[in-house]
Amino acid sequence: MSAFVDARTLPSGTAQTPDLAIIGGGPAGIALAMALADTRLKILLLESGGMNFDPAVQKMYAGQQTGYEPLDGDRLRYLGGGTNHWGGWCRPMDESDFEARDWVPSSGWPFGRAALEPYFPRAQSLVEAGVWAYDQGGNALAASHGPMLQLGKGGIYTTWFQFSKMRGDVLPTQFGHRYEQNLRAQANLTVWLNANVTGIRLAPNAASVDHLDVGTLDPSGGAGKQFTIRPRYTVLACGGIENARLLLVSNDVMKPGIGNQADLVGRYFADNPIPRDVATMVVFSGTLAPYYANNRDMGHGTILRAAFTPTDAWRRQARVGGSLTTVEQPVELDDVGKAAVATTAAALGVDASTARAFSLGCGLELIPDPERRVRLSLEKDALGLPRVKLANTISDEDFARYRTTVAELGRQLLASKAGMLRINCTTREEWMKNMDWGHHHLGTTRMHDDPRRGVVDANARVHGIPNLYVAGSSIFPSYGASNPTMNLIALTLRLADHLKTVMA
Amino acid sequence: MRRRAVIAGTGAAAAGLAAVGLWRFTGLFRRYAPTPYDDLLAQLDDRDRAALLGKHAVGMADARMTAQELRTRIGNGSLAKAAVEDVQAGRMSEVDGWVLPRSVAQMAALAAHA
Repeated sequence: MSAFVDARTLPSGTAQTPDLAIIGGGPAGIALAMALADTRLKILLLESGGMNFDPAVQKMYAGQQTGYEPLDGDRLRYLGGGTNHWGGWCRPMDESDFEARDWVPSSGWPFGRAALEPYFPRAQSLVEAGVWAYDQGGNALAASHGPMLQLGKGGIYTTWFQFSKMRGDVLPTQFGHRYEQNLRAQANLTVWLNANVTGIRLAPNAASVDHLDVGTLDPSGGAGKQFTIRPRYTVLACGGIENARLLLVSNDVMKPGIGNQADLVGRYFADNPIPRDVATMVVFSGTLAPYYANNRDMGHGTILRAAFTPTDAWRRQARVGGSLTTVEQPVELDDVGKAAVATTAAALGVDASTARAFSLGCGLELIPDPERRVRLSLEKDALGLPRVKLANTISDEDFARYRTTVAELGRQLLASKAGMLRINCTTREEWMKNMDWGHHHLGTTRMHDDPRRGVVDANARVHGIPNLYVAGSSIFPSYGASNPTMNLIALTLRLADHLKTVMA
Repeated sequence: MRRRAVIAGTGAAAAGLAAVGLWRFTGLFRRYAPTPYDDLLAQLDDRDRAALLGKHAVGMADARMTAQELRTRIGNGSLAKAAVEDVQAGRMSEVDGWVLPRSVAQMAALAAHA
């Protein structure tokens, strides 16, 4: 049995010497700990929160931001991390998400999707998303739930989201609660709750991590007890904003911050923007299968929702980014819209007397931008750590590329004579009017073989620090449009295999 | 005599109202001023609705040029054939955000000019 320890109950000065310290008990940290259950490694998982939401702990996330949303509102600081409020949307990244694309500056992973393929089934199992049905498999499952909308030949195809499912009607899998018993049953693991890592301390020659400073909050909200952890290896897994923050604040030996020799830590922050009502899709027949506008249980724990996405080939040809377009809800057309439908349907010889219109939304891949970044502010949190200052933006080019994609979808609807489409956004104000964010924090400790272009290498090891690794979506060097959770878990399982080798 | 006149007058008024209604709401009996591109506009099922759409067509202000291009495209064929060919060839136009075959957008623009 592993120990779940509330660090606030430990005597100050308690020291530990695990083989591996995992900083952060979100999906990456939990998946990593569980993946190493069959090893002899002595593992310490350090979670800054407890088992449930605590406003005082959550407040440690507060910071400044521009162009984004409150930083203590889109993350959760207790065991399970972001999975405590995620929507459960899953989809593997596409092959072209990994490629160096000359029309996407700074894009490209050090390896292709094939490197993650062996880990996707286990990641899918951990998020409890049922059988693997993202492409052709989804088409087959959907067949008995209504016909798919036919698209003419072109650059867009119908793909599938799958949804994490916990038990019964409870959606989706919250890693802390769902895997608590697994973690408790893991003999080589100790979990410290309410244990905040306040610094990663390097050896004086900056060649390795020497120890971690850990602190607790006292009941009055100030600094409490302090501990020292001396792990052989450390994995930083506390999310795309905090990973960068901890590296930047740990600047006693490396003045710019750990891994920040090339001034990359915190840069290239990204999220998947989700502009709503970007287009209006008209279906001439008026009939749209239920899995377009809603999640649909296909049985055997598999919940699907259709989306439209560009093929890898067309993305290369049209030089667009990744995107996933979904149907949102039925809408009414204005007189011009009715005239457009009547005129076009008549010209194509199609009966549109029962046509219905639906609003479309989408999730986008952003072009990597070094100026979208996490920095440290002068303000400090309860434990004395500088708070975060996040600068976020979307370029007009990001919108323009998606516009090309959605116009192709419109063309293909006409080609199949199934429907047509209106693009509702042209100006920046129109795009931003109904903007949501995926709250996917990506890219701030990007992966690249070249230390001048990445914070971590292809094995997620911080360049120059052989016993320090980073897990999670902060290492994504380019992002794709797919929701990151299942992908970052697959990437973490790959890291677990690597650690088994190097730590044996 | 007077009663007959009232009945006849009422009947005539009702017929007149019905005719106005048919003209207003169905387009029946509608007559349009002649244009140099009536041959093209004849392919439209509902010229008024096309005109409503066409008012938003930009870059097609020159009706003569638009008609010339459309005639070349359609030739001896139909708008339906031209529209399908446009879609297959990727010749698309946006009118008020609507992604349309170029020939349909041009036809709507001409209807608005007429």
